[in-house]
Amino acid sequence: MLQYVARRLLVAIPMLLGAMSIVFFAMRVLPGDPCVAMMGDQATSGALADCTKNLGLDRPLAVQYVDYLWRSVRFDFGNSFRQGYPVSDYIARMFPHTFILVVASAIVAALVGIPIGIVSALKRRNPLIDYPLRIIALLGLSMPVFWLGILLLIVFSLRLDLFPLIGGGDLDGVIAMIGSGEVFTEPRDFLAGVVDVLHHLALPALALGFTLAATVSRLSRSAMLEVISQDYIRTARAKGQGERAVVYKHALRNMMVPLLTIIGIFVAIALTGTVLTETVFTRPGLGKMLVDAIGARDYPLAQGAITVFTMIIILVNLVVDMLYAVVDPRISFR
Amino acid sequence: MAIVRRADPVDLTLPDVRVDRPANGRKRLRRFVPISIGLLMAALMVLMAAAAPLLAPLSPSAQFADAVLKGPGVVARHLLGTDEFGRDILSRIIWGTRVSLEVGLASVLFGFAVGVPFGIIAGVCGGRAEMAIMRLADMLMAFPTLLLALIIVTALGGSLTNQILAIGVALTPNFVRLARSLALTIREQDFILAARALGSGQVRVMARHVFPNALYALVVVATLYIATAIRTEASLAFLGLGIPPPTASWGTILSEGRQYIKCCPWITTFSGLAIMLAVLAFNLVGDALRDLLDPRLRGE
Repeated sequence: MLQYVARRLLVAIPMLLGAMSIVFFAMRVLPGDPCVAMMGDQATSGALADCTKNLGLDRPLAVQYVDYLWRSVRFDFGNSFRQGYPVSDYIARMFPHTFILVVASAIVAALVGIPIGIVSALKRRNPLIDYPLRIIALLGLSMPVFWLGILLLIVFSLRLDLFPLIGGGDLDGVIAMIGSGEVFTEPRDFLAGVVDVLHHLALPALALGFTLAATVSRLSRSAMLEVISQDYIRTARAKGQGERAVVYKHALRNMMVPLLTIIGIFVAIALTGTVLTETVFTRPGLGKMLVDAIGARDYPLAQGAITVFTMIIILVNLVVDMLYAVVDPRISFR
Repeated sequence: MAIVRRADPVDLTLPDVRVDRPANGRKRLRRFVPISIGLLMAALMVLMAAAAPLLAPLSPSAQFADAVLKGPGVVARHLLGTDEFGRDILSRIIWGTRVSLEVGLASVLFGFAVGVPFGIIAGVCGGRAEMAIMRLADMLMAFPTLLLALIIVTALGGSLTNQILAIGVALTPNFVRLARSLALTIREQDFILAARALGSGQVRVMARHVFPNALYALVVVATLYIATAIRTEASLAFLGLGIPPPTASWGTILSEGRQYIKCCPWITTFSGLAIMLAVLAFNLVGDALRDLLDPRLRGE
């Protein structure tokens, strides 16, 4: 097992290095000078030269590259060109916002997608049930998350005034209360903070969750179809077990194993979705931070955000590979 | 005397297929419904793109000062309303079909043309070539399609060619992976052995035997990727990295209309609907093709 983990890690490291190199060089061919972007067109050449020197952009590209890799290994992505803060602090502040969005939308996706997929597979010979469910899945798959987000905003925020139009709530405050122990001394304030965060989270999670639910339902459907054609399901039926028991006791449990493998794909789609969702709902988070950083030509911030995104995807895939091998003992740790 | 137990005679007669025929015929026809709808929608889209100058009632960039932010039908000549510059939304959406279709088809062609040869080389040749190609593909696969396209478009700028290039590059590793896995299966077939025995070289085996046999599966997936490419282009435009104005693109119309969702939701609603229908069309075609060609799903 340890050998398997070590080998998978060894494969992941060059992948991560390659991905980081792509990010670094892509950022360096960006049109426009970050100093001009920061100081404006009217800046004197002396001021621009000073700025370039301060940001370390006057050093040879190879030196900048090695420096970037070495710093990234230590999670030191330098300081944001525009804000001046360390990028890692910025990422640490934004990460919880993106994390809760991904978790909340995953819950929505699982609650909506898995039942749709299962029912669609079990009732596949009944077009009155299968067809509408497959159409819903296809619509979810075809609907861009930013459009669904806008439609939800128009209906629930602007027309019905039920949810806030922008922002992510005071998540920093809630986290600070947990850290300082105020959660026990001021439980009402804490609860009010949590409710506020959830209030801000509802529409983005619904928008992202529904588009993800489409993927989950299709994968659940095919996983279920695969499982119910197995011999042990026929055996269970032959023993005289009721359909309910066959589904809940045998099919559902075994269906979860292939579903595990899609977590990697799911996280990649969800993270991409956060870039768009956070932009639509003007929510703080890694995705919005990345879009803003690219717009402002803030190299370190954009590099940091993309590196963290890539790291998460590679790590999740690594963990899923291992989990899959643990869950299904037929897979040997070769 | 041994007791011989005889099994009951097995009924070897074929069931009367004529009895099931009408139901089977209906079932078979039903399987073609989704692909027909998808193909019809895709054909309409192609028609709209090709005949945009004839179909669009007005110029997509013409500005009407007397009809700024007017709702659908408020001014008779603007059926779907106007935007903040008084431009006709319907005309912009019709012209925007061209951008979406061009980017969708060209970027998939790019990904196909680059990815499939490399995938087949990796699958057939194996060894170091496979290792190098697959590691590079894995590296690119670490980025989700939108993120990779976002990086490339940011670096190169948002022209039509750059959009095609960015989305094409982002799709390439998917084609590499699929072509390799297909080639790995095909290379073990007897006809490949026969071709080699007849003196076919590596290149001939790949071009004349592996590629044609992998083609149908690749085309099915390519259809699905057209939908991905259209959605990615719209997403990039929504993030402000689309084709620069005044070219009309659905994502750009939607992105610009976002500021006016309070007063004028029609701008975002109609442009978003166009994106969804286009993605839906290619998803339907791709899905239906996959179902029709998958022998496991026949008879479902």
